[in-house]
Amino acid sequence: MPQVKIIAKNFMDMVASLTAIKLDKLYNNVFICEAILRSLPPLAKKYVLQLLFTDAPVTAKMMKEWVLPDGESKHGVAIDRLIQLRIFNESVDRKKETCYSLNPTFQKNLQKHIISGGVLPREPMNSNNAIKLPSLQELETYALHQWECFLLQLINSGQGEKLTGISSSMMKVFQRGLLSQRDRDGPRLTESGFQFLLMDTNAQLWYIIREYISNAEERDVDPADLISFLLELSFHVTGEAYNLNTLTDVQRTTLKDLADLGLVKLQQGRKDSWFIPTKLATNLSVSLADSSVRKEGYVMMETNFRMYAYSTSKLQCEILRLFARIEYQLPNLIACAITKESLYNAFDNGITSDQIITFLQQNSHPRCADRVPSIPENVTDQIRLWESDLKRIEMTQAHFYDEFPSKDVFEAACDFARQWGGLLWEDSKRMRLVVKSEVHNQMREYLHTQSK
Amino acid sequence: MSGVIDLGIEICCSKPVMFEVDIPMTQFIVNMNNSMPSSQKFIIHVLDSTHLFVQPHVEKMIRSAIAQFRNQNSYEKPT
Repeated sequence: MPQVKIIAKNFMDMVASLTAIKLDKLYNNVFICEAILRSLPPLAKKYVLQLLFTDAPVTAKMMKEWVLPDGESKHGVAIDRLIQLRIFNESVDRKKETCYSLNPTFQKNLQKHIISGGVLPREPMNSNNAIKLPSLQELETYALHQWECFLLQLINSGQGEKLTGISSSMMKVFQRGLLSQRDRDGPRLTESGFQFLLMDTNAQLWYIIREYISNAEERDVDPADLISFLLELSFHVTGEAYNLNTLTDVQRTTLKDLADLGLVKLQQGRKDSWFIPTKLATNLSVSLADSSVRKEGYVMMETNFRMYAYSTSKLQCEILRLFARIEYQLPNLIACAITKESLYNAFDNGITSDQIITFLQQNSHPRCADRVPSIPENVTDQIRLWESDLKRIEMTQAHFYDEFPSKDVFEAACDFARQWGGLLWEDSKRMRLVVKSEVHNQMREYLHTQSK
Repeated sequence: MSGVIDLGIEICCSKPVMFEVDIPMTQFIVNMNNSMPSSQKFIIHVLDSTHLFVQPHVEKMIRSAIAQFRNQNSYEKPT
């Protein structure tokens, strides 16, 4: 069964694919420069900071000398990344050597940012405590609730119940890779859909945001503006209120959609309306650096294959149902069991044992997580064994070659097949060979030329 | 032309398949093959204890036979 890996699509790859003019426009925003700096690999960060106050270009040869010999691959990766994001401009100097210099817009803005600190284009309201803001705890509950409603609607769109304010056309965009339209039974989750559900929240959020931005052009919204607004949003302070009249119309529409996802909370007073960023929004830029904040786990796995999930969330129940059998539900607890049948169900749907085990490890209850290993070994071993039981037989279309005239021809044919990556099986004693079908035609021609 | 015979093309027009299995499964499949009437025998060559070279179009049948064999060994507690 081909395994489809749904990758939490990298936001930065999308930024890198913007045109040069748009990127330069983005780099005018100081917060975008900082966000992009955060997302770079460590060596690239060092190079940017090192060249930040250097005006003349630096030769590539000199930069290579900064790295130890075993760091060369990391050096290559860093330089490629910087060129891809157009932070480094490549040029040729008088001695015909390549050298790099920082993108001037980026450089100027980052210098300004470092020296004078970042000032958001808007001040938090409420300097006179006139509005009663929700506490951080309430805000977090609100954000979680919105996000869960959104995910539930995403996967259960067959049910007519509309839980969030997102338009059905927007929903269809998000569901594009995750659900398949089947006329009789209604939409069903695809393999990628299942894998999506098992990812952690930040990865899911980035996936949804990336789909939202890719769809922006169809709605006549400039993706660069959207990206800059989102990154700016991630630098606001959680829990502080910001007035809506500081935003453009486009930003206001975007904000309404973001409120449905749980990234901000919209409130209205007598005169003004304002928005309050939640932790989901401010985590956007932190998670760029791949050091996501883990929310508290809730699953306890026992050696007798029983699982206790301390949760009341409907969404988490649905996710557990993907691979475990739910025995019963108490007011604060979901009791489940991992059985062969429930796992076979999951494997049929395209989930791999690694994904299930990673999900369990990432969501294990703090008391379990302290133990090493957090999930009992007999459980992880058994899950993998059950998966391999399904893969006992491997079938490949192939061709069989027999009766070679001499050992040399046989050896040569073996090497040829190996070079093309098509050698499946050989028997040197009886000079027999099995080769993949794809390589068969080349093999035949090779043998014809050999025999002449 | 020297005597390299390309058995694959001579025997069938559509592409035959190679199976890679573990040893018990090889025996299971060989057994299945032997119990079939000679017009339906599908193994072309038994390459070694873990590889078999078979006719095409039997893949589905073999997979369902293996699944059936696997299910015979399972017990699921009734809910």
